[in-house]
Amino acid sequence: MSWLPGITTPFAAWFFALLVPLVVFYFLKLRRPRREIPSLALWQSVIEDQRVNSPFQKFKRNLLLLLQVACLCLLVLAAMQPFVRGGAETATYLPVLIDNSASMAATDDKGRSRLDLAKEEVRQIVEHLLSDQRVTLITVSDSAQRLTEFTDNRRILLDALDSIKVDEVPSRPEEGLQLAQALARTFDISTVRFYSDGNLPTRPDGAGKPMAVVDFDLPFDLQFHKLDEPAANIGITALNARKSDENRWDVFVRIEGSAAGQTAAKVQLSANGEPVGSPESVVLEAGQSQRFVFRYDSSDAASLVVRLQPDGTDSLAADNVAYLELPISRPLSVYCPTELVSYRHSLEVLSDIELLPQGEGDPQRAAYDLVISDQASDVELEASTRFFTGLVPEDVQSLVTVEEGLGEVIDWQRDSRLLQHVQFADMEVTDVPMLASGAEEAEFEQLGYEILANGNTGPLILERREGPVLSCFLLFHTDRSTLPYRVGFPVLISNLVSLAREQANLSDVRGASTGVLPPLALKPERDYRITGPGEFATTQSSDVEGILKGVAARAVGTYDVSEGGDVVRQVGASLLNATETSLHGVDEIHFRELTVDATTAPATTDRPLWPWLALGAFAVLLGEWWLYLRRPGGIPA
Amino acid sequence: MAETTSQFTALLPNDVLARVERMRLNPLKRKTNHSRGEHLSGKGGTSTEFADYRDYSPGDDVRYVDWNIFARTNHPFLKLYKHEEEMHVMLLVDASQSMQFEGKFDLARQLAAAFGVMGLFNVERVSAYSCSEQSAAPVILPPCTGRASLRRLFSFLEDLPGGGEFPIEAAIEEALKRHRGRGVVVLLSDFLTLGDMTRSFNLLHSAGLEIFAIQILSPTELDPELTGDLRFIDSETHQTLDVSSVGELLGLYHEHREALSNHLASLCRKRQGRFLTVSSEQDIKNVLFDQLLRRGWVR
Repeated sequence: MSWLPGITTPFAAWFFALLVPLVVFYFLKLRRPRREIPSLALWQSVIEDQRVNSPFQKFKRNLLLLLQVACLCLLVLAAMQPFVRGGAETATYLPVLIDNSASMAATDDKGRSRLDLAKEEVRQIVEHLLSDQRVTLITVSDSAQRLTEFTDNRRILLDALDSIKVDEVPSRPEEGLQLAQALARTFDISTVRFYSDGNLPTRPDGAGKPMAVVDFDLPFDLQFHKLDEPAANIGITALNARKSDENRWDVFVRIEGSAAGQTAAKVQLSANGEPVGSPESVVLEAGQSQRFVFRYDSSDAASLVVRLQPDGTDSLAADNVAYLELPISRPLSVYCPTELVSYRHSLEVLSDIELLPQGEGDPQRAAYDLVISDQASDVELEASTRFFTGLVPEDVQSLVTVEEGLGEVIDWQRDSRLLQHVQFADMEVTDVPMLASGAEEAEFEQLGYEILANGNTGPLILERREGPVLSCFLLFHTDRSTLPYRVGFPVLISNLVSLAREQANLSDVRGASTGVLPPLALKPERDYRITGPGEFATTQSSDVEGILKGVAARAVGTYDVSEGGDVVRQVGASLLNATETSLHGVDEIHFRELTVDATTAPATTDRPLWPWLALGAFAVLLGEWWLYLRRPGGIPA
Repeated sequence: MAETTSQFTALLPNDVLARVERMRLNPLKRKTNHSRGEHLSGKGGTSTEFADYRDYSPGDDVRYVDWNIFARTNHPFLKLYKHEEEMHVMLLVDASQSMQFEGKFDLARQLAAAFGVMGLFNVERVSAYSCSEQSAAPVILPPCTGRASLRRLFSFLEDLPGGGEFPIEAAIEEALKRHRGRGVVVLLSDFLTLGDMTRSFNLLHSAGLEIFAIQILSPTELDPELTGDLRFIDSETHQTLDVSSVGELLGLYHEHREALSNHLASLCRKRQGRFLTVSSEQDIKNVLFDQLLRRGWVR
């Protein structure tokens, strides 16, 4: 960095040529006022005396000329737009990423939010923008939004800056960086500035310390400006309910405190607007958490709200409330053909299950919670959880074929929900799935399948999730294996039922997070108006299956889904993010190939000098005017 | 009864004229002519004012023998009386172009008239000179005396031509070529000349003239209000002088103006003369009856 100021428009130096006519016209004195006086005798002696006694008489005689030359020089210098170089290299095109995730709303002791501090620093950049510099503003939360084109229009930039509000969603900087990367293909971008509190998704490093890892190749220099740490915070980071009995729910609430200091609060659960039990008090040391279990007895649908009333410092308000929608209690509807005796036998001993068909003449229903079948025709049955045995999905039939033989399970995912506590060792199968020659396991993943168990010749169990539907495929038929005779079989069926209950929201319910509302099952192909916190309102249509999905939920609160003016569904969205509640800011971001360190010092921007030069020219002009028109000093004492 | 008044002269109001008629010049030195007049000379004379006694010498006029002393001492003593001589009042009015600004010339003519009246009413010889055009001869009022010459004096001053580039020091020399007689010279000028006044004052002093110099300056010369860059034009020579930032030089201007006045006053003082600077906007009464009277120029 040079200490010499830079110049934006050096061609303006040609205006220095105006000095020539200025001097010429000054000495020509074309318009010097003439004044007749009785005699020049006194004035001649005055002038001679001045010439003799004044050491700078030549300068003083031409003081007006000097002032005019100084004024012109200052104006030309201002036109050349010099600037004092800041700490960073001058960038012509500068994307500025501003984190506006939920944690940016956290305030410090002075009541200033992180976003306010970020805006203040970006405002400095905008106000000191040079004439050849262009800035684009991009907000980054769980998605990125480009607020302005590359522009040097301060009004547009400042208006856009003022319009930035906090999205009460977790932070995810990848999209903002990808957007900047896309811009770099069109514009010459060498530097990108990222203003954030450093509250980014982390994972523990080797020492267990949280480490922010962004899966991104940086094609530019990223300047990560970390904002000051906020005050202490306490918030709700998890809310879910589990059915403990036919008419009873256990509601689990996790309260976490930030590492900034001790926090305290009262926790109150309410159902459909009525408080449930008395408030619970919680006092957390720095960085600690506490779990609360509330009991709620009801078999009807209910809207649960957990509110946190901080007792002391709490810098983030968005995580002080959480919403949970409890469904109506009903038995799990399971379709299982009567031919699958072993399955039905295992299912019959489980409680709260409606096993279908109940008899030969039992009509088929439109939808089930769980379908267990070995018939290819039953693939068309509608269910949130489907389990097929001895069936190879059509799209993987080119990758695997089933042949007769003797096979066994080589390995399986023991931590899978379906296979928990299921022992496949020494199990034998007579249907042997064979991996097609040349086929690789990665091709299953590309088709959306996850291999849960592998045999000695190919995959045995596949799992696939399509939106809200979970499908499991046993590529061998259990009737032609030793599995039904093993202890693991009823465990497998129990896991399957448990999974189906979760899928049907009958046993475990989680509070919906902000970002996007969970898919809502409504009437097919209808227009619904969704209104939410603030002045949020939008209209979206359900698909042919009656699923309304993709509704943005940028703020914590209750969202009403209306049809024809009538509210048909109410959904609450909560922050429920431990990282955001912790307000922990990382000091470095790990990218694929390099690590970017944070800087907390405000960015030193290039400071244009032309306003000062113009002001100086104006001052010189005023001085000249005063000198030219000032009144006589009178007779000296 | 309505009182009708008519001005005797345009130069002086009647009341001023009436008062001036009762005033007379008060020179520091007795510089008189040998011709008889009303100023007592240092020598013995024939006035009624006793001076001294001396021994009688044959041939003396026996009418001046003090017979009372002769009766007591039996020795003739001659009574001597003071000699009253005539004083010449020379009026020199600068009528050049530089005097034609802001009433300077008018005040000069009024003062000249006042001094002339004082001279005529006190039986002095009064002559007046005015210089304007360098190429032309000075305008002269020949020496005159007595009240009968009052009208001539006024006519001369009223009809004085103005303008021209005659410098005051040259005008003095020119006037002295034509002047005879000792007495008082009243110089009425702005003394704004590029030349040196020392020689002129020496000539006046050696000619037996006590210098009464009155410098008449206009208000814009005494306290100019000028700013910016100006091109000054000399009213007499039409020479130009470019001055930048005039406002800044005003302090120096005042120093030089005061230095000129002090220099002229010093020249006069060294030659037993008097010097006074007046503004052209001052009233003639103020000058005559306040400044000149208080300074003892007249009585």
